[in-house]
Amino acid sequence: MSSIEVKNLSFSYRLQSTFLRNVSFEVKQGAFLSIVGPNGAGKTTLLNLLCGLLMPKAGSIKIDAVHIESYSIKKLAQKVAVVRQEFVPVFDFTVTEVVSMARAPYLGTFGFESKDDRKTVAEALEMTETKQFASRPLAQLSGGERQRVFIARAIAADSPILLLDEPTNFLDLKHQVGIYDLLKVAQLEKNKTIVAVTHDINLAAQYCDETLLLGTNGNYSYGCPEDIFSPEQIEKVFGVSTFTGKVGREKFFIPLGKFAKDRGQIKKELHNS
Amino acid sequence: MGVCTSVGTQKISLAKVFNGPGDMPGSNIDYEIFVIRLRRVVLAGLVGAALACSGVVLQAILRNPLADPYILGISSGAGLGAIVAILSGISWTFWGGSAITAFAFTGSVATVWLVWFIGHFTGKSQVTSLLLAGVVVNAFFSAVIMFLTSIAKSEQLRWTVYWLMGSITDKEPLVLWISGVCITAGVVALFVVCYKLNALTLGDEQARGLGIDPAKTRLVAFGFAAFVTAIAVSLSGLIGFVGLIIPHGVRLVFGPDHRQLLPVSALIGGAFLVIADTLARTIFGQEQLPVGVITAIVGGPFFLVLLAKYSRRVSWLK
Repeated sequence: MSSIEVKNLSFSYRLQSTFLRNVSFEVKQGAFLSIVGPNGAGKTTLLNLLCGLLMPKAGSIKIDAVHIESYSIKKLAQKVAVVRQEFVPVFDFTVTEVVSMARAPYLGTFGFESKDDRKTVAEALEMTETKQFASRPLAQLSGGERQRVFIARAIAADSPILLLDEPTNFLDLKHQVGIYDLLKVAQLEKNKTIVAVTHDINLAAQYCDETLLLGTNGNYSYGCPEDIFSPEQIEKVFGVSTFTGKVGREKFFIPLGKFAKDRGQIKKELHNS
Repeated sequence: MGVCTSVGTQKISLAKVFNGPGDMPGSNIDYEIFVIRLRRVVLAGLVGAALACSGVVLQAILRNPLADPYILGISSGAGLGAIVAILSGISWTFWGGSAITAFAFTGSVATVWLVWFIGHFTGKSQVTSLLLAGVVVNAFFSAVIMFLTSIAKSEQLRWTVYWLMGSITDKEPLVLWISGVCITAGVVALFVVCYKLNALTLGDEQARGLGIDPAKTRLVAFGFAAFVTAIAVSLSGLIGFVGLIIPHGVRLVFGPDHRQLLPVSALIGGAFLVIADTLARTIFGQEQLPVGVITAIVGGPFFLVLLAKYSRRVSWLK
């Protein structure tokens, strides 16, 4: 069963040319899709369309076979949880308070959590290993910890779909891998459908089942990462040549800078191989 | 805690005036004074609770810890209404309320509507445009108030200044009942949206992702906050700082969860104004100070500490 179904989707902001043109793809329940592409290609816009923040100009989006327009804000929040780019709230909310907010679409009139709600929150804290700083204010955490907290919140929302906007931004290597591991666990253990916008082609290639590569000119390619990520394709879309390594099924892309110390040498070796 | 404080205050003030509380009805003059005093305490409690709640809500919807109930022009609107009533010398009463009360209420409600209207139709970023609209309308009406003050006669001037400083004065029981019911209803209505305010402080996109309609929540919260503020202001004039320092003090101690912040702020706000009013009427014996002076004198230093704290926090993040 397909969890997200996008057909001929087009979108443009006012006074701008269309930049998502006739995009179609499908994400099955329990699959992991990565959306990659250069800045300004419309990755975050696509994410905002998938969570109902923006309305398509043409085409359709279906969540669990129902048109996204027919969901109320509350019902949609029960289907789709979003992790946005890193930020610190104005007021000093603690980790538990932030994660508890995920239960908002399930609360009664006065908005207090039930025992079950609190249990769901505790499980999410446990799973994301954020329990040890549960009572600390969000502002006192490191970037990596904070990102885990927002993923904990998305998991506490108990929604079948998880959308993430550049979840590994500003994180060091350890935490980048940590976040992807966590997402993989959520995918496999809780059968979540995961859609992540990312700049990290290498981790995306390792972890995702499918990839949507958006170009700046409205072109896109969609398929499994092994097919989508090729040196030619990446050079075409990003305008950067890469050194590509291969170990088993995994491919690794390292960008080549124009002023790299030994660019000539690398180019030659690339040519020979 | 708030209730205890207010009771305690009452006892202290009673003890000062009487030799023991005059609790028997009848020809007991002490009892008459007691009733008047009680009415004042109730009024101060109501106004304090309303201002504190409104401050909590406005700080949440504007996502600005320095917002207060007057930031969106309610004060200048009410002030303009009051000064018009004072200058024109209208003396009729309205449901037991004076013309000043009625005019101030009308003025504040009209201004709030104006600010919302301008803010809603000018900007994409609703919060910023709302703030800007509030500041501009505030500045404009303040200028009009200054103009009217400059042409006022001396007796009118004294009244105007007294009103603008904010003071708790005796009101008819009917006025108290009506405003008491309205403020309580408003606070309860605000309490219902508290969990939505939590999400709203994270930003519109976040709130939406949590299943909360930001525009609708903001409209409801703003509407009720403006309503209770308008009532409070029209009863007592411009009592400053309650709506700013109480939410902050409570947030420091109890955290930012609005489901707790709002009711506690209501209690503490009410208690704070009861104490401030008690000070205002006792500190110089017969001579009564406007309570706004007391709250500002206590509030001013607090506000500075707050500013220091916030600038430090900013430097941590960098």
